[in-house]
Amino acid sequence: MSTRRFVIPGEEVASGRVKLGEGVYREGDRVYAAVLGLLDTSRGVVRVVSLAGRYYPKVGDFVIGTVTGTIYETAWSVDIASPYTAILNSSDFHREVDPFRTPLMKVMKPGTAIYAYVREVAPTKGVYLTMKQRGCRILRGGRLIEISPAKVPRVIGRKRSMLGMLARETGCRILVGQNGIIWVSCKSMGMADLVERAVRKIEAEAHTSGLTDRIKEMIVRERERV
Amino acid sequence: MKAGEPEEFIVDGRRLDGRRVDELRPLKIEAGVLKRADGSAYVEWGGNKVLAACYGPKEIHPRHEANPKRAVLRTYYSMAPFSVYERKRPGPDRRSMEISKVTRQALESVVFTHLYPMTAIDVFIEILQAQAGTRCAGITAASVALADAGIPMRDLVPACAAGKVGGHIVLDLFDIEDNYGEADLPVAIVPRTGEVCLMQMDGNLTQEEFEQAFELAIKGCMQVYEKQKEALKKVYEKRSEE
Repeated sequence: MSTRRFVIPGEEVASGRVKLGEGVYREGDRVYAAVLGLLDTSRGVVRVVSLAGRYYPKVGDFVIGTVTGTIYETAWSVDIASPYTAILNSSDFHREVDPFRTPLMKVMKPGTAIYAYVREVAPTKGVYLTMKQRGCRILRGGRLIEISPAKVPRVIGRKRSMLGMLARETGCRILVGQNGIIWVSCKSMGMADLVERAVRKIEAEAHTSGLTDRIKEMIVRERERV
Repeated sequence: MKAGEPEEFIVDGRRLDGRRVDELRPLKIEAGVLKRADGSAYVEWGGNKVLAACYGPKEIHPRHEANPKRAVLRTYYSMAPFSVYERKRPGPDRRSMEISKVTRQALESVVFTHLYPMTAIDVFIEILQAQAGTRCAGITAASVALADAGIPMRDLVPACAAGKVGGHIVLDLFDIEDNYGEADLPVAIVPRTGEVCLMQMDGNLTQEEFEQAFELAIKGCMQVYEKQKEALKKVYEKRSEE
């Protein structure tokens, strides 16, 4: 992981016949970085993992969003911290709702946080969510933490090692959306603060190794005071 | 001769501020200086102080400006009231709208706008202090801010001017040279391919002079490019240490 090179847009990263991943482009016979980030050439694919940037919706992602309103009384509009507003149709809600009998605003008000699944990204950039997937639900209580979507894999960790450790050591319930929104629900405010500090530390030190151990140390050290 | 005009622009091979004809003013670029914006950069170039910030890609408002094929790049060049000797009336004017437009066109040639249809990318360039060559400093800062925001682009865009003062072709004019000189030629390039994405000329040059000035400006751009790359590398190192 530490061998990954830092590259700048326009920097040559490969040449010849290679498979292109995200964050690179080809011109003639050569491949160049398109974004600021870390070059990854493992598994025969050349890609640059961006260090910044907004969430780009992808089918199959679980995201955390905030309801912003309704559209035509039959769907909710949901802010998923991406350039595109997402739509959650009432028929995609995890239980039966009849928008003609119950106004959708009574089911979920603006500001309600949800854990949802990206069902479709239309060519016109309409993003459609569904909650008819395992784990999807309304998130009551807790707090939302926003981080860069590029840092999400680090917060989850390999085989969920980081996330598992965080939940275990703090006793909090934590959900991570691929869009960089994290939901934390704890028994005490202090513990939620601690999780937030830990997440910020992970975000800042995402590229360093041995991070899980250091975060664990930090939590064990600081949770006594909570 | 106009009042305040120097008699000689170049004495013993040195310009009025002590530079040689092919020398840039001291240039300092810093990326990621603002917390709230998605990307930002600060440029100090001689007496120029320029701040650039970038937001996006984000939902576009007003909606009818959206392009279903690509992101819309919007640039705002603005000079602070205190950036010049006589207070400048704040707000957009003919000159700043022109510079916003040429800046946008220069940056559009490198940003992969087709990746984010229906969105807007906003770039704000604020001139805090001006000493000639602010459009070049603005473009230089803006492209670093775009890269800092993680926006996909072909390359960075450095810009630099060359011109003619007192019969000599010189690089990177400062205010006295700009005001009393004979010509100013700002150029922005895509360094990897050598494409020219901004070129304007104020004043007159013969064909030979133009070619000489153009070549000099390109050399200047390449020096600016190195500083841009350094600035972005530094951000990464800085973030690694924290």
